[in-house]
Amino acid sequence: MTLLLKQLFAFFKLLNSDTGTNQLALGLAFGLVLGFSPILSLQALLVIFCCFFFRIQLGAAFLSAFFFKFVAYVFDPVSDYIGRNVLESQSLRPLFTTLYNAPLVPLTRFNDSIVMGSAIISLALVIPLFFAFKIAIFKYREQVVARYKQSKIWKAWAGTSFYKWYSKYNDLYGA
Amino acid sequence: MNQQNIPAPKKKKEKGPIRTEAVVPFLIVVLVTFLYFHFLFDTHLRKAIEFAGYQIMGAEVDVARLETSFFKGTIRIQGVEVTNSEKPSFNVVSIGDIRFGVLWDGLLRARLIVQEMAVEQIEIGQPRKTPGRVKPPEPPKKPGESALEKEANKLKDKALDKVEKNYDQNVLGDVAAMLGGTSSQDQFDKIQANLPSQALLKSLETEFQGKQKLWEEKLKSLPQAQEIQAIGDRLGKVKVRDFKTPQEVQQSLQQIDAILKDADSKVKLIQATGGELDSDIKKFDAGMKELDAMVKKDIQDLESRFRLPKLDAKSLSRSLFYPYLAPYLNKFNKYKGIVEKYAPPKLLKKKGSEEADTQVQPHPREKGIAYEFGRPNSYPLFWVKKISVSSQAGSTPGAGNMKGLVTDVTSNQTLVGKPTVLTLEGDFPSDEVHGFKTQATIDNRTPPLRASYKFSVDSYPIQGRDLIQSNDANISFKKATGSMNSTGQLIGLSNFSFELNNQIRNIDYQIQAPNPTVDEILKAVFTGVPVVTVDASGQGDLPNLSMSINSNLGPELQRGFEKQIQKKIDEARAKLQAFINEKIGKEKAKFEGEVNKTKSQVEGQVKKAQDQINSEKSKGEAKSNQAKKDAENNAKKGVEDQVKKALGPDGDKKLDDLKKRFGL
Repeated sequence: MTLLLKQLFAFFKLLNSDTGTNQLALGLAFGLVLGFSPILSLQALLVIFCCFFFRIQLGAAFLSAFFFKFVAYVFDPVSDYIGRNVLESQSLRPLFTTLYNAPLVPLTRFNDSIVMGSAIISLALVIPLFFAFKIAIFKYREQVVARYKQSKIWKAWAGTSFYKWYSKYNDLYGA
Repeated sequence: MNQQNIPAPKKKKEKGPIRTEAVVPFLIVVLVTFLYFHFLFDTHLRKAIEFAGYQIMGAEVDVARLETSFFKGTIRIQGVEVTNSEKPSFNVVSIGDIRFGVLWDGLLRARLIVQEMAVEQIEIGQPRKTPGRVKPPEPPKKPGESALEKEANKLKDKALDKVEKNYDQNVLGDVAAMLGGTSSQDQFDKIQANLPSQALLKSLETEFQGKQKLWEEKLKSLPQAQEIQAIGDRLGKVKVRDFKTPQEVQQSLQQIDAILKDADSKVKLIQATGGELDSDIKKFDAGMKELDAMVKKDIQDLESRFRLPKLDAKSLSRSLFYPYLAPYLNKFNKYKGIVEKYAPPKLLKKKGSEEADTQVQPHPREKGIAYEFGRPNSYPLFWVKKISVSSQAGSTPGAGNMKGLVTDVTSNQTLVGKPTVLTLEGDFPSDEVHGFKTQATIDNRTPPLRASYKFSVDSYPIQGRDLIQSNDANISFKKATGSMNSTGQLIGLSNFSFELNNQIRNIDYQIQAPNPTVDEILKAVFTGVPVVTVDASGQGDLPNLSMSINSNLGPELQRGFEKQIQKKIDEARAKLQAFINEKIGKEKAKFEGEVNKTKSQVEGQVKKAQDQINSEKSKGEAKSNQAKKDAENNAKKGVEDQVKKALGPDGDKKLDDLKKRFGL
């Protein structure tokens, strides 16, 4: 839990800083894939592994996964419809038969209509959303963070000794 | 302090794309996972099996030891004990050792494939060290119960009630009561109850009286004799010959036509009234038949209320051995319930009931479909190819000599192309069970699921088994040896048919009846039958199974009791019949007489009116035909006269020649 909270704080900190845009956007995009995949599946484990192995913002990934889990829930009927159509397609049947009987691939549970539909939706959205998240972060920093830092409340808060002490501590020991 | 001595702020090193600092946490996670699987997983799995077993079997399930090996893909379960829920101090079954390995080849494809499973050291009905826990019965699900479930439960209860009513007949008790003279024959005078047949007769009478008035009105509305006669008179006045002009002919035909139309409308009225009265009469005929059936049922009800025993061999056998066989049927129903509850819905094709429930759920999550893209020789999701069962007597006190094989337990028989087959044979010398053989097949390759079995035991002990325990008679097998064989088939987990042949030998009976005559007859009959056969068969949709039970004891008992009480039974039956006759016989006969009288009256009147009108109608039609013919002749004659006149002298001869020439 501490680790999770730490990652969430790090996410908000990074979001409000000037760096790590790609990490954040990737984290949010990977979270989308996680949210649309069943947790006990090969692709979910692969994405989690990537998040840990590469410098992808974990807090962003978890937050995004949490959000997109609900979106996936709402989209279940759509996913089911898409999945059924793909899985019942006669032209793709030989491919699916080969995949179904190949090692490891069945661990993705691709033969389930909802998993297949969700995977198609998430794969179609992941790249456009990566760029969309990137733009959104830039806009957020330009329009929200910069304006907020000019506000009197922020200036008053930044002038307190507690903030200065925290700022110094963060520079020396922060992540 | 000098400015130059102040250290410059530490510049953070730019981090690469790979999270190197995650290596240690990752290794920790791997280590924790390894430690969990090494030290705790086996215990947790064992507890999970015990918990699931308790939930499914409704009694404590113990597993002494469980070992798994992740790398070898093996599982070994030792000391499995399943508590008998009826006798918690005993186990239903205990298995010493279960070993199997799953194929990594299958696991990598998300399939559970077991090449061979070994099941060893089987013990049946052995005492436990400590009594096992038994799950309390589940409270009835009332508030959340769906309408479909409620209806299904109602039907089930109704069916069970029917079975109970049919078989909860202590015939011997009734016989004893009758022989002892304490039978309720003397209560006939006290009967005050209103018989259902009586109520039906009254309602028929009331309805009949109402209808009688209606019929009278209808009969009055029918054309009376004078009206019909008037039609005849009108017809008589119409000219039908010696027409001078065609206008006269036309006029006559028009008059006849009008009279016939009038007659037709009266015929229709008579026919419609006749039809209505006929349907009413048919209703009363059906009512009379229903009344007869009701009278018969009343007699049957009174016979059972006054406990008049049926002294036929079949009833005696059924009454005697149904309680003996009921526990086996109950066990069968219990295990069938478990299979229905826990077997995958896809396997049992039970979709309908779930669809009804989804409507009442607030927001059901969409359920996807899992497709299986199988091909010949590919693995199904679950497949135990072979289970070898072996057990050697003497290794543990209750162990039996068992040898058996179960093949192809799988989630997809169509893919495997083979049914699940079980063969098992052996003996349990410590329990004196010898020659136990069973063969079963479960075939779900094409729906519906079909399960069939053959089961036989050459010899098994029977001790202290009650047949009848009542105030009137106690009969039990103190000690005996039985043998049995049974075959059966279950289709779609609902339609069940079976045959069971049971032979009981070397019997030491325990018979006691307070009534000395009954006691004497029972002892004489039972001890005179050294080998008792019990043959049962049943067929139908569970639990509403229609069962037939026969035993050689039935005819013997019938013969034994017949002399003593058949006369008494006949007397009681005659009294019942007389009572019924007295209650409703006279009224019924009177009512029948009235119905028949009215019926013949109504039918006679309608028929008379119909005959009269039909006769007048046919007269009218004859007259019409005659008028037409006469007019035709007159016209013909007129033309001939004109031709003769035109031909001049010898007109007759010339006309004949002309006729011959034209072939007229």
